[in-house]
Amino acid sequence: MKLLFLLALLAGFAGTLAGAHYAPWLPQARLASHTSVVANGGRAEQFLIRLPADRIAATDGEAGGLRAKGAAAMLLPAQFLPEPLLVEHFKVRDSSGSVIGVAARHWTGGSSAATTWSVMIPSRGAFVLNAPGEARGALEAALRAGGYSAGKSWEGEIVLPMHKDAGVLTTGGGEFEGLSGSYTETWTIASIDEDGRVAGTIEIDTVTSRPQE
Amino acid sequence: MKYLLVAIVGLVLGVSAAGAVLYFNPLAEKAAQPPSATARVLHYSLPDQVLEFSLGEDARLFGQEPGDDSLWEETIARSAVLGLVLEDASNQPVALASRLMSTSDDTDLLLHGVLVSDYWLVTIPNEGTLFVQSTSNAWPFLKETLVPAWYLERPWNGPAEYWPTVGPGSDERGEVVGVAGALRGSEGDAVERYEITTLDPARNVVLASGELHLNLSGPQVAAQ
Repeated sequence: MKLLFLLALLAGFAGTLAGAHYAPWLPQARLASHTSVVANGGRAEQFLIRLPADRIAATDGEAGGLRAKGAAAMLLPAQFLPEPLLVEHFKVRDSSGSVIGVAARHWTGGSSAATTWSVMIPSRGAFVLNAPGEARGALEAALRAGGYSAGKSWEGEIVLPMHKDAGVLTTGGGEFEGLSGSYTETWTIASIDEDGRVAGTIEIDTVTSRPQE
Repeated sequence: MKYLLVAIVGLVLGVSAAGAVLYFNPLAEKAAQPPSATARVLHYSLPDQVLEFSLGEDARLFGQEPGDDSLWEETIARSAVLGLVLEDASNQPVALASRLMSTSDDTDLLLHGVLVSDYWLVTIPNEGTLFVQSTSNAWPFLKETLVPAWYLERPWNGPAEYWPTVGPGSDERGEVVGVAGALRGSEGDAVERYEITTLDPARNVVLASGELHLNLSGPQVAAQ
């Protein structure tokens, strides 16, 4: 009887500690990665953002323009309103259209304009992309060239690469740690409604590789 | 029957003893050492300096309503997106931060605690953009504050201060990389501190202040 008690006590104690150590307490749901091998080495992967559904929020500064519409507004302190600064938050999809993560895009203008993406895929980690920033109001300029007038709805197709040369993968964590690579960012706009809400797709095409030791 | 009863009592006692060990387990309460006095400090207060907060449906610690913009998809249900204004030592807004957070697969209640992956993108106008990668341990906060005061409605002995950063860099600090502007190329480490100043479940009020301590080497400009 005593032995049984001690064995049960031990089993309860050890089992609980083992569960605390080995059990996957907070597992992240993971979808299969849609990657392909590119000819000169490396791995290509496309990430999509569908507008307006995937836009979580954008800052309300003067630099936002149409991109600040159709999402929760992040109300900036007064001194930031005129700054060439735009922060946008999105959900991110894989190339098959399934939501797999979230992202922040920070744009700063001026003489050294820059665009930086932080993309987090909870089951895989995070990575940072950086490229020269687009000109202020680049989206509005492209739309005007395509016949869009402010305050009116518009339908058509505008394809806008956000930078001429490929940007770079700067750093990463988790599965993306130690990777280097390049990316392009293309906005395809299909329509604007009367409230200025943009419908379209942002495509981020990455090619990454692990540098040889 | 008697044997079964003895086995059950033994099992329950064993589980209880292990629970006590886990609750008081010092391994799950690790934190980075507070930073040196030379670190640059950007601070914020909650909820005043929150620009936006989107929360996954399985990440609602305070029982918040999910809202229309919640992160409901299964792959991001344990994630959060937080937009913040950061201030300098003179309480002037100097930066905007986007925090992408999710629970970590490395959570281990025996050795590490409840871990959260926390990725900051911090833009300081006229200086540049920083990426901060940190792992935070939420276990001390959950154990000492959230569960007893919020869920069990016990009296709260606040304010409560936490240094949640536990990695992934050396000395259990977060890692900082300058990715754009004049900060590009700089590297260093980061530690977060926060203080819960008010916690009132009856009024559904939580107030807090936080600090991001940055220790940067390389081409850093305009440090305070």
